[in-house]
Amino acid sequence: MHLDPLLSVKNLSVTFHENPVIKHISFEIHKEEVLAVIGPNGAGKSVLLKTILGIIEPSAGSIEWFPGIRIGYLPQRFHVDMYLPMTVGEFFDLKPRKILTNEAVIRLLKLEKSWLKKKLAHLSSGQLQRILLAWALLDDPQILLFDEPTENVDVVGQESIYTLLHHLQDATGLSLILVSHDLQVVYKYANNVLCLNEKQVCYGEPKEALNHETLTKLFGEHTALHHHHL
Amino acid sequence: MSIPFIVFISGIVIAAASGLVGSLLTLRKMTLLSDALSHVALPGIALGIVFHFTPLWGGVAFLFLGIFLIRVIEIRTKLATESITGVLFVTALAVGALIIPEQELLETFFGNVQSISYGAAIIQMFVAILIIGVTLSFLKQLTLTSIAPDLATASKISKKNIEILLLVLIATTIAVGISFVGVLLMSSLLIVPAVTAKNLAKTFKGFIGISMGISAFSLFAGLCTASIYSVNPGLATVLISSGIFFLSLFAPMK
Repeated sequence: MHLDPLLSVKNLSVTFHENPVIKHISFEIHKEEVLAVIGPNGAGKSVLLKTILGIIEPSAGSIEWFPGIRIGYLPQRFHVDMYLPMTVGEFFDLKPRKILTNEAVIRLLKLEKSWLKKKLAHLSSGQLQRILLAWALLDDPQILLFDEPTENVDVVGQESIYTLLHHLQDATGLSLILVSHDLQVVYKYANNVLCLNEKQVCYGEPKEALNHETLTKLFGEHTALHHHHL
Repeated sequence: MSIPFIVFISGIVIAAASGLVGSLLTLRKMTLLSDALSHVALPGIALGIVFHFTPLWGGVAFLFLGIFLIRVIEIRTKLATESITGVLFVTALAVGALIIPEQELLETFFGNVQSISYGAAIIQMFVAILIIGVTLSFLKQLTLTSIAPDLATASKISKKNIEILLLVLIATTIAVGISFVGVLLMSSLLIVPAVTAKNLAKTFKGFIGISMGISAFSLFAGLCTASIYSVNPGLATVLISSGIFFLSLFAPMK
């Protein structure tokens, strides 16, 4: 039974006002697998994530989650009103169906307990992203969907989030879907890669799936050559 | 002017409910919507006055009709809720003001505590208790949908249902508050205390508590002032709550 995929997506398409955003996407993710979804900006990566989460309605295709699975989600953007009077701990308490305690997730992220008393509005974007990760971990998810921010990215912060995810994955066997525009993420962390540029350009193990042809289709001639010579 | 004890109690509970619902509105930047929405009750109140039934029920009916219309227009046109409310609000204000006899216009605009019967005071108080109960039991969902809609949807919270719940809570709060502060001043109970609390509070619990407290205190003090100096209680309440707001600006920075 546990060989059943955690998520099985077949022939998924999404259309906004009759404009196709993603077309005919199919993939599976199994326990302990790390799937990277890569593609240029505007390729429909975030839309794909939101669709499998049920935030956006697909126009065709099927999405099948393993029954009763717990899913964690880190959105690309989380805008906090500068004047929002709310502490990190209070934000955690908004989580429905909490399994872990606030203290436990804070420890998982190697942060001090005093973080629970900090005001959400006083955090930097990198710190906020960690808090979002903690929020996602509160119900002890079996799979985590991470939508990498494209703006305000500080390189060190991004590194540490990936290191953290990697540790968590090692420790708990968590499955991951990483949405990224960075090829390094794929080579470093992923078992499987899905290349997306409206259509599904490639899918499979990075070594085989990423070649000159698929990279050209994905990022254009110049970028493909650049990565080819790396 | 002498104000019955039950009206005092009822008013304080209603004001607390307004402070609670109002604090959720400031999270969504929906403060002006609630202000505009309160005017939508006017034609209903007008019909009550003209045809001699309790104006409160006419107000409630028109508020829900208003919400229904906003929803329908929203789905048909994709215009923003605020824009549609803006159109409905001026229309309702004009229609209401046309129907209401001139001598009663002022008290509809600014509230008339003396017209509240014992029975109405008790019913309104229970409705306010209900509002507080429902809001507190859905507080997590209401808050999450406001501050992080994507996280709410990903947590299987229906955004649509929560938004409808919030609109119903706003309408009900306005309906029970109007007889105290009137159509034009309803925001003194809904918005001003919440904005003040947002300025003062460090935690979310504190924010909600302070908002409810300021709202309840303002109405209580407004009624006291009215019974001593025979000024309009609605006006007194507004001035007290906005007075607290301006004082709060001098509070030390967080």
